[in-house]
Amino acid sequence: MFPTPLLQLSKKHPIGIFINARVLRDQMKREAFAENEQLRQALRYISQNTTLHPRQRAQAQLQLTTMHAHTRSTQFKNRCIVAGKGRGVFRDFRMGRYQFRLNALAGNLPGVKKASW
Amino acid sequence: MRAQQSAPTTTEETAEPPTAARLPLSVQAIYYKPLHRQPQHGLPVCNLMLRSYSVRQLEAQCDFALRAAYYLNMPATGIVSIPKKIRRWTVPRSNFVHKKSQENYERITRKRLIQIMDTNPEVVELWLAFLKKHAVYGVGMKADVWVFEKVGVGKTMNVSLSNLHDLKRPTWAHFGPRKTVETAAMVKDILESEKYKVPESQAPDTMGTMQRIT
Repeated sequence: MFPTPLLQLSKKHPIGIFINARVLRDQMKREAFAENEQLRQALRYISQNTTLHPRQRAQAQLQLTTMHAHTRSTQFKNRCIVAGKGRGVFRDFRMGRYQFRLNALAGNLPGVKKASW
Repeated sequence: MRAQQSAPTTTEETAEPPTAARLPLSVQAIYYKPLHRQPQHGLPVCNLMLRSYSVRQLEAQCDFALRAAYYLNMPATGIVSIPKKIRRWTVPRSNFVHKKSQENYERITRKRLIQIMDTNPEVVELWLAFLKKHAVYGVGMKADVWVFEKVGVGKTMNVSLSNLHDLKRPTWAHFGPRKTVETAAMVKDILESEKYKVPESQAPDTMGTMQRIT
C-alpha cells in the first residue's frame, strides 16, 4: 500500500487539544470532507437516480471514484483530545481509556465515579 | 431564645412581640412537604423531566418546581421517580498492557417526572421560564408541553388529499439527512454542465424509455 498523497491543511488548526502529526492528518481529512460534502452528495444523487440517463450516472460514478480519498467521511478516526491516541477512545468523552481514568479519578468528568457492586 | 435572655435588661421592652411568634404561613410551609393543588379535569398539559447525576440537587430542584407550581395555582402530580440509567466503563488500570488489572467506573443518571394538569399554556411557559432562571446547577430539564385546540381545528389547518399527495412525491425519494437544498442546486449545476450533456441522438425525449417519473 502506497501512502495517499496528502491534501493541504488550512492555516487554522485545532487549538487547545494535543497535537501531533496524526491529529493534524485527521483534522486535514475532516476539512477536506467538509469542503467537498455537497459535491459528493450531489454526485451520489446523480449516480443513484435511476430516472437519469445512464451516461450521466456513469459520469457521476467516475467523478466520485476520481475524488481524493480524504474527502470521504469513512477516513475519519476519532482521536483522544488529551493524548492524541487513536485506539480505545471513548466517544462520550473524546478521550483515550487512560486519560479517561485519570480525569475520572480527578473528578473532572461529571457524575463518573468508581463503581463497585 | 436570644430575645428571652435580653428581655429583663430594661423595663420598656415588656411590649415587645411574644417570643414564640408564628412564622408567616408561606415561610412555615418550607419546613413541610410541598403542597399540591387538586386537578379538576385531569388533562395533562406539561410533563417536566428532570435528570441529574446527583440526588441532592435533583431533589432540591423538584421541590422548588412543585412549590412554584403550587403558588401559580397549577395542579401537579408529585415527584415520580423514573428508573435510573447506569452507564459503566471498564478500563485497564495502566496506560499500557496489564489487561488483568482493571477498574470499573460508572455514571448514574437519576430522573424525576412532574406532570402539570389543567393549566393555561401561558402559565406553564411562565413556570418553565421561572424554573430555568432559578435552576439548581447540575440538573437538566426537559418539558413536553401539550396544547389543546377547539373542536373543528382540522378545517383551519388547510389539510387536503392533494396536499398529502404532494408530501410524498417520488422526486424526494433519494434525499436523505445529508442531502439538502444546496445539494439540489449543485445537482442542477452539474447536470447542466458541458461534461454531463447527453448527445441529442440519445436524449431522453427521443429514446422514450428515459422519461421522468413524476
